[in-house]
Amino acid sequence: VILAERIAVNLTALGFLLLGIATAAEWYRHRGRARAMLTLALIFLAVVAIIGRVQDMIGTSTALDALTIVCFLISGFFVLLFRAAFLPLSRPALRAAAAVLVISCVVGVADVTVFANSAQAITSILALELVAAWTIFTGEPIVRFWLDSRNLPSVQKARMRALSFGFTVLLAVVVVSALGGTALQNPAAVIATQLIALAVVPVVYVSFAPPALLRRMWRLGEEVELRRAIQDLVNFSPTRKVLAEKAVGWANRLLGADGAFIVDADGALLASSGIDADGVDRILSAREEQADGAINEDRGAVLVVALHLSDGVGAMGVKGGPFTPLFGSDEINQLEGYAVAVTAGLDRARVTERLAIIEKNKTQFLNLASHELRGPLTVVRGYVSMLEAGLLGPLNDRGRKAAPVMSAKVGEMNALIEQMIEAARLEDGRLMLRPAEADLCHIASAAVDSARVDGMREIVLECPDQPVLVQVDSERVQTILANLLSNAIKYSPNGSPVSCEVTIRGGVARVSVKDSGIGIAKEDLPILFTRFGRVSTPQTVHLPGTGLGLFLARQLARLHGGEITVDSVPERGSTFTLHLPQFAAPTLTG
Amino acid sequence: VEVTSIGSVRHQSIHILLIEDDGAIADMYRLQLEYDGYQVTIATTGENGFATMAAAHPDIVLLDLLLPDRSGFEIMADLGKEFPNHPPVVILSNYGEPTMIDKGLALGAIEYLVKSRVTPALISQKIPGWIEQAGRGQAEPDD
Repeated sequence: VILAERIAVNLTALGFLLLGIATAAEWYRHRGRARAMLTLALIFLAVVAIIGRVQDMIGTSTALDALTIVCFLISGFFVLLFRAAFLPLSRPALRAAAAVLVISCVVGVADVTVFANSAQAITSILALELVAAWTIFTGEPIVRFWLDSRNLPSVQKARMRALSFGFTVLLAVVVVSALGGTALQNPAAVIATQLIALAVVPVVYVSFAPPALLRRMWRLGEEVELRRAIQDLVNFSPTRKVLAEKAVGWANRLLGADGAFIVDADGALLASSGIDADGVDRILSAREEQADGAINEDRGAVLVVALHLSDGVGAMGVKGGPFTPLFGSDEINQLEGYAVAVTAGLDRARVTERLAIIEKNKTQFLNLASHELRGPLTVVRGYVSMLEAGLLGPLNDRGRKAAPVMSAKVGEMNALIEQMIEAARLEDGRLMLRPAEADLCHIASAAVDSARVDGMREIVLECPDQPVLVQVDSERVQTILANLLSNAIKYSPNGSPVSCEVTIRGGVARVSVKDSGIGIAKEDLPILFTRFGRVSTPQTVHLPGTGLGLFLARQLARLHGGEITVDSVPERGSTFTLHLPQFAAPTLTG
Repeated sequence: VEVTSIGSVRHQSIHILLIEDDGAIADMYRLQLEYDGYQVTIATTGENGFATMAAAHPDIVLLDLLLPDRSGFEIMADLGKEFPNHPPVVILSNYGEPTMIDKGLALGAIEYLVKSRVTPALISQKIPGWIEQAGRGQAEPDD
């Protein structure tokens, strides 16, 4: 049992010695204030353990006893300084802690010198004061770490909790040993407390230098959620700025980093979180001096990867904090994979932004052009109408032939301009319907009448006996039908008949415009209703048109809660059908 | 279709004030309107329009919206203040936005027409009707 006790005590001392050496080595590789404080705390703990072994071998002495107590107190004080290094304490609090340290050191030295031979009660009280001081030094950080870990990314959370837990166990061992006194001096109790203290070593070790496997395991829990969020971010962010801002937040979470940034291809800082522009500049200029991706910086590890954007090479970087795992190959892989997604997202957002600008310019151009065209057209149209009416003087035979052609062409031009204006209005969301109850047969009849005159073509109109009531903006519906009718005439150049049929069934009113013209190939159907979408074939290429008519017609139909469908066979003809919801008239009473 | 001179006789007593800064458009309307026998005065700015209004008491005003000194809407608003019994105003504009049309009508215009959609002959035909309509509208409150 004595041997087992000695082995346990020596093992624990060895464990703390190794822990001290490991932290010192970590600190040597990645320096930082916080890390230095933790290293010192653990080194002083290791010193305490070693002095204990030395005393075992060469016998105890007052000086060694005093040194043990002072080192022990200092180790606790450095735990508090470690906490203050990244969760700053106020100056008065630090001063008070330093005062407690000095007083406790005096008390501790007095305990083993002046009061060495005093009554048990006095030494116990003095020992209690020392334990209380150590409890204050480590207890406050233990609680603070635990509370602060709650909102951190999983890796940081796990590390902070490991440290908090490790020191809790150590504190418990110290307190129990001090309070237990002689009751705990039997070998079994010693072995138990030593083994418990030994168990703390790996827990504290992983808190500052977790192996890659452990880091990956810690991350696993939130990785799925993270991946989904990143996917959303990349696919749906409206602008690059928004995307970059969200992306740095996720980069921090992904790597458990303290700060992250994204720099655009032109070198401009797109977004940063937990790091300011100066910090980013410092990191990037330091990076230029060093070819390698991962570099050391005085405040912790930094990782920067390139973003191969369509405009050039940008950069994304993360900066570690006191609880960030030092970035290893696992983190580099993570960040590089993430960088690919962010690059794709930024490029997509760039395309979306450009498209939006082009769309806006197009609409503005359409708007301006059409309004500016109305002015001159007014004059041309006015004079042509006067010319035709003979108001400008008598015309000869050739003039009398030319005037109606001019008039018709000016009318066509006017219709096209009206279409352009209507399209621009539609795209701006400025188009307002003025719906009223109407008989679809009346509207169709008016549209057919004017198409007959304009197109100089016979059009057969078929209507049911009962009125077909709809709640529509009559002028707009007439525009839709005029469009379908003029297309039917235009694309059946052989003079074949055009028919227009109004029907109602199942609560849907329909107007079908049928021609026996050139028809539309199946593969061309999808572009029919797009803005400026025109089917270009040898038969149609010479026909005038803006490609706006059907786009407008369908949009107007949809604004009415309706639709336009098409059924076509090449060389046989087409049928375009306007569908509108039937108007459910309120029941009349009396 | 020949425009008969009968119209000329009938319209002789009607005086039209056309407030329009585009010379080509103004000349064109004048040609049609004078052909139809109306008396036409053209003002190229809002200020000129007001001066003519005070001096010549036109029977109807044809008003453009885009003028060098102030907008047609401002003129409409001022007309109501300075000439409570002003003649009917018909807005002739190249802006066809429903919001503009609503605003024009709300400010008291008797009609709002988009110039490129109507021929001078159509305007000429409608003028007596507009004057009559305005007369009825003004007479009613007095009764």
